[in-house]
Amino acid sequence: MLTVTLDAVTTAALLFIISSGLLIVFGVMKIINFAHAAFVTVGAYAALVGSQLGLPWVLVVPLAFATGALCGALTEATIVRRLYQRPLDAILATWGLGTVIGQLITLIFGREVQFVQAPITGTVDLFGIDYSAYRIVLIAAAVIVAVVFTMLLNGTRLGLSTRAVIMNEMLAQGLGVDSSRVRLITFAIGSGLAALSGALITPLSSVDPNMGVPWLVSAFMLVMVSGGSLLTLAVSCILLGGLQVIVSTFVNPILGGLTIAICAAIVLRIRPEGFARA
Amino acid sequence: MPDARPLSPAAATQFGVSRRWSAVLLAILVAAGITLAPLLLDTYMINILIRAFFVAIAAITVDIVWGYCGTLTFGQSAFFGIGVYALAIIFTEYGFGSWQILLALATAVIAAAAVATVTGWLSFYPGSTPLYASIVSLVVPIVLVQVLYSGGTFTGSSSGLVGFETFDLEFENWFRLAGLCLAAVAVVALIATRSDSGRVLKALRDNDERCTYLGINTSRYRIVVLVVTAIVAALAGFGYAAFGGVAAPENASFTFGTRLIIMVALGGRGTIIGAIVGALSIEVASAYLSGSLPYVWELIIGIALIAVILAFPDGLVGIVKRLMRGVQKKQRGPTTRLRPVAKAAANAEENAVAIEVRGLGKHFGSLSVLDGVQFAARRAELLSLVGPNGAGKTTLIRCLSDGRERSTGFVAIAGHSIDRLPPDRVVQFGLGRKFQAASVFETLTVAECLRVARTHRARPSLITTSTVLELPAAAISVVERSGLADRLGEEARNLSHGLKQALELAMVLSLEPEVLLLDEPTAGLTRAERQAFADILTALASRDRLCILLVEHDLDFVREISSRIIVLHQGKIALDGSVHDIVNSALVREIYTGQQAAASEAVS
Repeated sequence: MLTVTLDAVTTAALLFIISSGLLIVFGVMKIINFAHAAFVTVGAYAALVGSQLGLPWVLVVPLAFATGALCGALTEATIVRRLYQRPLDAILATWGLGTVIGQLITLIFGREVQFVQAPITGTVDLFGIDYSAYRIVLIAAAVIVAVVFTMLLNGTRLGLSTRAVIMNEMLAQGLGVDSSRVRLITFAIGSGLAALSGALITPLSSVDPNMGVPWLVSAFMLVMVSGGSLLTLAVSCILLGGLQVIVSTFVNPILGGLTIAICAAIVLRIRPEGFARA
Repeated sequence: MPDARPLSPAAATQFGVSRRWSAVLLAILVAAGITLAPLLLDTYMINILIRAFFVAIAAITVDIVWGYCGTLTFGQSAFFGIGVYALAIIFTEYGFGSWQILLALATAVIAAAAVATVTGWLSFYPGSTPLYASIVSLVVPIVLVQVLYSGGTFTGSSSGLVGFETFDLEFENWFRLAGLCLAAVAVVALIATRSDSGRVLKALRDNDERCTYLGINTSRYRIVVLVVTAIVAALAGFGYAAFGGVAAPENASFTFGTRLIIMVALGGRGTIIGAIVGALSIEVASAYLSGSLPYVWELIIGIALIAVILAFPDGLVGIVKRLMRGVQKKQRGPTTRLRPVAKAAANAEENAVAIEVRGLGKHFGSLSVLDGVQFAARRAELLSLVGPNGAGKTTLIRCLSDGRERSTGFVAIAGHSIDRLPPDRVVQFGLGRKFQAASVFETLTVAECLRVARTHRARPSLITTSTVLELPAAAISVVERSGLADRLGEEARNLSHGLKQALELAMVLSLEPEVLLLDEPTAGLTRAERQAFADILTALASRDRLCILLVEHDLDFVREISSRIIVLHQGKIALDGSVHDIVNSALVREIYTGQQAAASEAVS
């Protein structure tokens, strides 16, 4: 039982890190970045390369973030920026980009599954059971992401501009906020977070060119059901992520993988604002 | 007589006849081509094309849902997969025979329709966004594939089903059958999308909110379209599996779903031909290329998709059309003639209460935007709602037209309580709402916009395009006075701001409303346009006995036309009285000029 609880919390932590990047892009641009899964994969391969080069893990994670952020910035500047007026086309174009990135990775690294050594191995003794130490680290990582995020949004000038753009882009522009810069930076940070989460997943799962895809749909639905705030996203991740773990453990893993998508769709149908306060 | 608009009836018929004959001729040529083609092609090519024909049928369904209705769907592959597996499972379980064929067909159709209904219910409801519908459509094939994976020997799990007995036809005849099926689906789709009903689909894509406020239940329309296209896609899948003798989870996967989108995007969305061109060219090209350079081919497809979206959003067909248009000016179908509709029997009471509001409140948490608003308005009244910015005027309009908006209180339109009903139902009680910013269907012509506005009065045909447009006299008079009558065939996006406003008013009047809500109708109009508007409104109130509620900032305009004025201030009704009383009241001066105490004290 305790193991299930810990599994639920660590899964929620991982889901939170993956979907937070999607959330910030959705908040500012009102689009869902379909290349998010590809950026997760990019981060995982960055971690693979970094660890093969013998870099310490504390450098591998920032390297992954930077690679993702760079890819994100390029994407925003070359593709997404031209499609502001056509949001559905924007998500389709990011989907196309996801395919392109996936194939490029396949061409460079091959399609075989690879493994990255976990930076922390072994188990810790927690409340009387042995539990994977690395998964506990993930909880810390999720908390750090949430704290840094909140500080960025509430404590910096960029955060203020970003919140202004989220609330009312026209007004923000009128007040002299350079909204295209905000969009560029947001997209870069969102993609960086995707890559960061990719790097954090690698010790838990294998690395392959399509590894990001299974996470994508869950992350989409979590963002939709959260209604756009970081706090409700955390709540959604804990509730639905926990449910996923319970279903996977006690019913069947395949159904578990679909739990988030199906539950979120039903929640949204009954309560269109999701978990957000009315 | 508005009847005698351009083009004599004889000419119109002749035009229609020659068009119809050329269409029939084209159909015969295509049929002949399909029948003869197998004699010229090698077996490998025939094999590829048979599959491509079935895939193209699925691509047409994507085009209708996405290109015409505006929902980007990744999920049509799921319905295709349902057709594939319905056949494979039943032939595997029960063998091949005539009742098994019927059972498989019925299963495909019923399962696809059921899944589509659930998907539609989850995707389309008042307040759902196109983005959300798109994500739900992505979930559907993913769920289905997982179900197939966990189905054990029944579904064949990840390796699929193979080795069941199926139809025994010659390659050439399969080719003819599949080709003719594709041609038939294409013809039906072309007729349906060009019919008057097809215009409604485009209207949904252009402006869902305006459709709702024209009394159209947009969610139901979208669900019906999804169910119909799902059935067609399932039948295409049925054919695909019947020919191939294989069912694989890839047939239902979202990868195939996105492949269908790419086909439509490359070929040209919103044109049936584009979907076919895209599907056939990608299927053929990938058959030749994917074997020799698998990853590079996927890479090329991805890059091509991005390039097409950025540079040529209307795809190959769009490029060709643009080149052709240089040569010949595009013709927008037969010309439309206006005809006044026979007026329904005069409504019961000429001075009945048309709007009744009691104890209306709207709160956001602890903030109350409207509080205790209470008034009644009769027919033939022209009531102006004035007040400073933030007084709650637009919110009040919203609460009158959408039952789900208000927090507390009672609203009745033409004697019907609006309860918690969505706008399309409230409109059917006799409400018409004109938005502040002109809200029309940008890619539809003026005549088409007006016809869509008549949808809930005159059911549009699924097959034909009518050349006569029946409108109520009030709408015709707006069309004629504004000069729209000469531009019926022009796309709404090319109209000036003033003409768009007039068009929207004419559309709202086409609903034959008893109550007309107008939100700052004169904003941004020239002086002449404003005067014309004033004349139209007063005529509507006095002659057609409409109850008009108008939000307006221009006090001179209000004074000129109103029969009564309500002043809204900080969410409450501050004054309600005749034009004279209000205009000279101290409060109005205070609100509008800010010279409070001095003036009001001097008066008292």
